[in-house]
Amino acid sequence: MADSLVDLLLAGAARNPDKVALRRQHAAWTYADLTRGAASAAVMLRAAGLEPGDRVALLFRNSPEYVALFYGALAARLAVVPLNVQERARVLALQVAHGGVRLVVGDPEHPEWAALRDVLPGDVATRDVPSHDRTDSAAEFLQSLAVGDAQPLTSPRVAPADMAMLLYTSGTTGRPKAVMLSHGNLVANNVAIQAYLQLVPEDVGLTVMPFHFSYGNSVLHTHIAAGATLLLEDNLAFPLRVVQRFERERVTGFSGVPSTFAILMSRCRLDEHDLSSMRYLTQAGGAMTRAAIQQMRELLPSARFWVMYGQTEATARLTYLRPEHLEARLGSVGVPLDGIEIEIRNEQGDVLPPGQTGELCARGPNIMLGYWQDEEATRQTVVDGWLHTGDLAHRDEAGFLYIDGRLVDMIKVGSFRVSPLEVEEALATLPGIAEMAVASTPDEMLGQAVKAVIVLRDGAALDERQVKAHCRAHLASYKVPKIVEFASQLPRTSSGKVQRFKLS
Amino acid sequence: MSDSLRDRIRMFILENYLFTDDANALALDDSLLGRGIVDSTGMLEIIMFIEEQLGVTVKDEEMIPENLDSVSRIAAYVESKRKVA
Repeated sequence: MADSLVDLLLAGAARNPDKVALRRQHAAWTYADLTRGAASAAVMLRAAGLEPGDRVALLFRNSPEYVALFYGALAARLAVVPLNVQERARVLALQVAHGGVRLVVGDPEHPEWAALRDVLPGDVATRDVPSHDRTDSAAEFLQSLAVGDAQPLTSPRVAPADMAMLLYTSGTTGRPKAVMLSHGNLVANNVAIQAYLQLVPEDVGLTVMPFHFSYGNSVLHTHIAAGATLLLEDNLAFPLRVVQRFERERVTGFSGVPSTFAILMSRCRLDEHDLSSMRYLTQAGGAMTRAAIQQMRELLPSARFWVMYGQTEATARLTYLRPEHLEARLGSVGVPLDGIEIEIRNEQGDVLPPGQTGELCARGPNIMLGYWQDEEATRQTVVDGWLHTGDLAHRDEAGFLYIDGRLVDMIKVGSFRVSPLEVEEALATLPGIAEMAVASTPDEMLGQAVKAVIVLRDGAALDERQVKAHCRAHLASYKVPKIVEFASQLPRTSSGKVQRFKLS
Repeated sequence: MSDSLRDRIRMFILENYLFTDDANALALDDSLLGRGIVDSTGMLEIIMFIEEQLGVTVKDEEMIPENLDSVSRIAAYVESKRKVA
């Protein structure tokens, strides 16, 4: 078994150095380009004074430069903190400070980069690395690092429990939540996913999911580990462009969340394209309706459709449903990946029999080390090695798992988890608000959207636009309430607790 | 090109994504995606605005950055479609 993702990259690169690993519209990096880039990135990071165990943050849209810096950082035995490209500078700066990040490397053309540099703590260094979608981008990358001829990339010789990543997830600004993933977590989960999808070097995947998101992170590394080609996009704003790439570049695999497939089906006539090369589709990030799955399968009959389930705290993936079981077990998220145990437990911790709903708990080599600098949250979430997912689920008699809901308040916008508390914290800094509560509201495309109900102070005047403008200045766009309602009071229980479910 | 059309498109984007009526917040040639002003679903909403409010049907193959990634591009695209119609 490999020690690190770097070993998996090195194995693929040794087999086929001239194969294209990553391709944007114009930029194409071979495996040799990628290992050379990663080796140079490791030299640059060490020269910047970073030592094993230090954290380096990356602010890049999906690009080969990000990938080279990621592997270079692992090779230098650093932990990578991928920053959310949709997040605002102020929140990113808080995460950088919270994570004890020593260096932030970013694309100078990213819209928040300049603002982030302005608000970073003084002891955090920054480094510009351009990321242009040009045919010569691999050479430009080496030039921008300016480290001369680096030694070839080598295995970092790490222990399985050494931290490799810090992934910021749905925390609040007052209490950021960063999932610590080890080298062992990443290798185990990637190898297990690669095995069931049977990814091979001939595969050509396409991703639209950002790499700072655990699903995007796993799509990236499983394709690299397989020695396959991954085509990079970072959004689905122009869906036909993506479908044209499916056809033109003979894409064999595509991964999405329910809204990804909804956009493709609503805005592209998929059956008018030759998509016969498509071998697999994977879907995670929340439940997709039976009708939508069926429609997608009819539109892409050559593709096997895999439903999957997981969370950042489990590196990415916990369960999968084989396509041949889709008909008989529709609605199920399948069975655990190899090496992962799952139990459904009640509040007392007893394991429940089939048919009964309880909390889904999981144990295995992919379970996070814990939350960074938050022992209390870690202790509550990982108990005796078992991850308490906060998801309610049951098994059927044959052992297939079904998700029934969530124990904790969390809004899922598309595939992004949003903590209502984070939005409430942002609202609390807006003068004129006496009290407020944030909850989910159904959304046709995204499944859920954020809704805020606000009680104004006497004499205060605020309108919907002011509220949204304030949130947009402080939060990523997808966290901005889509609906803002003003009320004279909030629904509460007799003990005074806000009843969020009554707000939806 | 009609200023009023550009103003109307700009106002829609300001109102719905930047939550302001300050026209200086969005230059006519600013990339909507590049500046992180809209995401995938925001672009779908802009297309609905073009279809429902500006009376132009956006064909799937016309959903490309050259037509939609800035106020100027949207205005030019809408005008060209209106001329053909």
